[in-house]
Amino acid sequence: MNLSFLPPDMNWTCEPCGEKLQPGIVELQYVGSVFKVELPVCPKCGKALISEDLAIGRMLEVELLLEDK
Amino acid sequence: MEQKDLREWEARCIQEEPPACRAGCPLGLDAKGFVLAVRDDNLPGARAILEKSMPLAGLVARMCEAPCEQYCLRQSLGGSVAIGLLERMCINAVPAKTKFLRLPPRPKKVAVIGAGPSSLTVAFDLAKKGHPVTLFHLPGGPGSWLCKVPELVLSEGVLEEELQRLAGLGVNFCQVSVLGEALWTQDEFAAFYIGQDDEYVEGDLLKLGVPDSITFSLETERLFTGGLSVENHKYRFITDVSQGREAAVSIDRFLQGASLTAARVDLRHGKTNLYTSLDGLQREEVVVPADGLGYTKQEAIKEAARCINCECLECVKRCVYLKEFGAYPKTYARRVYNNSAIVKGNHQANKFINSCSLCGQCETVCPNDFSVATLCLDARRTMVQEDRMPGSAHWFALEEMRSARTEGALIRHAPGKDFSTSLFYPGCQLAGIRPQQTLRLYGYLQELDPATGLWLDCCGAPGHWAGRVQEFDEIMKELEEKWHEMGEPLVLTGCSTCLQMFREHLPQINVESVWVLLAEKPPESAKACAPMALSDPCTSRHDSKTQNAVRAMMEKIGQSLTPLPMSGELTECCGFGGLMQNSNPDLAKKVTAARVTQTSSDILTYCAMCRDQLARTGKPVAHVLDILFQDVAHPASEASPSISERRKNRRQLKSQVLSKYHGEQPKATEDWEAIALTMSPEVAEILEERRILEDDIRKVLFHVQQQGKVFVHGESGRKIASARLGQVTFWLQYTETDGSFMVESCWSHRMIIAGGSA
Repeated sequence: MNLSFLPPDMNWTCEPCGEKLQPGIVELQYVGSVFKVELPVCPKCGKALISEDLAIGRMLEVELLLEDK
Repeated sequence: MEQKDLREWEARCIQEEPPACRAGCPLGLDAKGFVLAVRDDNLPGARAILEKSMPLAGLVARMCEAPCEQYCLRQSLGGSVAIGLLERMCINAVPAKTKFLRLPPRPKKVAVIGAGPSSLTVAFDLAKKGHPVTLFHLPGGPGSWLCKVPELVLSEGVLEEELQRLAGLGVNFCQVSVLGEALWTQDEFAAFYIGQDDEYVEGDLLKLGVPDSITFSLETERLFTGGLSVENHKYRFITDVSQGREAAVSIDRFLQGASLTAARVDLRHGKTNLYTSLDGLQREEVVVPADGLGYTKQEAIKEAARCINCECLECVKRCVYLKEFGAYPKTYARRVYNNSAIVKGNHQANKFINSCSLCGQCETVCPNDFSVATLCLDARRTMVQEDRMPGSAHWFALEEMRSARTEGALIRHAPGKDFSTSLFYPGCQLAGIRPQQTLRLYGYLQELDPATGLWLDCCGAPGHWAGRVQEFDEIMKELEEKWHEMGEPLVLTGCSTCLQMFREHLPQINVESVWVLLAEKPPESAKACAPMALSDPCTSRHDSKTQNAVRAMMEKIGQSLTPLPMSGELTECCGFGGLMQNSNPDLAKKVTAARVTQTSSDILTYCAMCRDQLARTGKPVAHVLDILFQDVAHPASEASPSISERRKNRRQLKSQVLSKYHGEQPKATEDWEAIALTMSPEVAEILEERRILEDDIRKVLFHVQQQGKVFVHGESGRKIASARLGQVTFWLQYTETDGSFMVESCWSHRMIIAGGSA
């Protein structure tokens, strides 16, 4: 499974860090499961961007899957 | 659910009980399946069904007197389906299977004495099971009285062919000059069947005595008998075949040293627990064969189409939800059981369990009172208890409940009073959906009795429906305490669900529907509209008092009502009940759509939630309050308020009550409430669909203002912000101009971002 969820448009800057978001590894948790995925991340503070497409697509799918486990 | 409970649940659903025709067949033939296969022009399939139950199908299908027909439910509506004629057509049209599966040979030999229909049956059944069979017959050849049947009914070739099938199964034919006692005293055989449907030495059969009526065993060990029908018996042939079959079962058990009686299924003689409704069924006459003898294929298909396909499905045919999951309660009970029993793998019935509206229509229409609602509610409670209830299933409704119980809640005596003779309890949905009408109604109740207090709260139904026993019990306790503190007055509810919750869970509280009171004294401002169909809320199903009161009130006002088929005790859920709309919004839409198509009239209801839900289809739906108070009436075609408006309405209603009746300044609003938002109707729709409140957006923006953390796009300058509010992380894309926020999109997820690094 491809665990990289970088949006086509990476032209985002974290404020007030002033850093451009970079591909980074982020840990996501849900109902006892933990996975590492690649997302746009602020290199300074580590805050990650969850895009709309990801949230209403693959992420929702996995949430529902895990809830039924 | 324990396995014992599952058995009890399964036993309640009668859908798998045999139809009357099958129950009336001494061989247990799936007559309905056979007839339907003929109807569908699947003659090979139809023959296969015959072969499955009949011994020597070529013979039995042609000779059977079809006792099944006397039980056919079509009988009173044009005559029983001519199953016998259909069998003959089928057996003539489709050639026999050439090969039969025979079980591996067994050691003990069986003697079948006589060669009438019962003996041929025993020989066939035991040979198939692998027993070595020797059939003793008279010099005329096997068949006994069958050899004398007219050629038109049974041609010689047929009997010959069937005897060859027996030979193919290894049956050894042995011709003897006489049939008598000497044959059943031979040592080489382990068991004997004496088929009395043949010619015997006079007096020998009398020595046998009377066989057991179930097992057909005789007092002398090893001896079994059958073929006892008298010559002019209406069902002589099939009765003898049936006796042969029962004896063959006994002989097989005897040879294996097993009990002859244990777990033996008695013949049903047409008795079945299957319920089949004949409502709306038209009379159709039996198809008469043109040649007076037998059906052509086309005639047979036409006759088979008269079969009413007996089945119950009383609940399924009315319930969109039960239809949606493709089965019936017996199967559903097993799915629910398996869902709780599995240790690893997916809980595949979660969706089913959480989609039920708990409306109770199934229990009302079921001849056996099967309540899918109870099945699902019990399962939900277990899931919550075992901490495996999907977090998203009921989340939004529970948040709504908690909000209504805090920021929307208020309990007060009437202004200037230190007691209440009654407390008006509109319910959180009426307060959220129709706040001005709620206030107007409260004003009118005060006119009727100035000591009417007001109680804004949620009855806890979402907690109950979600299976959250502990939370719900706590709510009940709190409500009871508040009622005590108010001097234990009569509670007048504006919502059928609240009324149901109070009655079922707080029976000590004296509670009544406000519509019962208003039926006595409707306001003078009440004015009839065009005729409408009255939709009873599902939580009023067993509350005929309120249902009748609303009808009486409408009659007094002169409001005519058009019929709605599923009303009163049979009424249907609007799609919100049981939190269906939360767990399965797509299904809820189907349920709502199905409900509104039951009438071409506009709909009238006395449940705010039903109004809101049914109106989402675009169907004009009025609330009773629109008729009672013309000055605050809403048009029936008005769109339902959004989830954000409902929240705001509850808060505003509370503020209005405090300022209007109690001269109190409402509590200062939260800091985030002042944030100004704008958005297009499309974005507003997205919010609604994703169950994101404007409040949530304001909280995210407020969070941003506090924390200062935001992503900014390099070219457009638009921003993305997020905040974790409870169990959900909300994201917002927006632009900011002069302190006003233009929302471009909003999304959320439940996953937790534990940390990241570039």
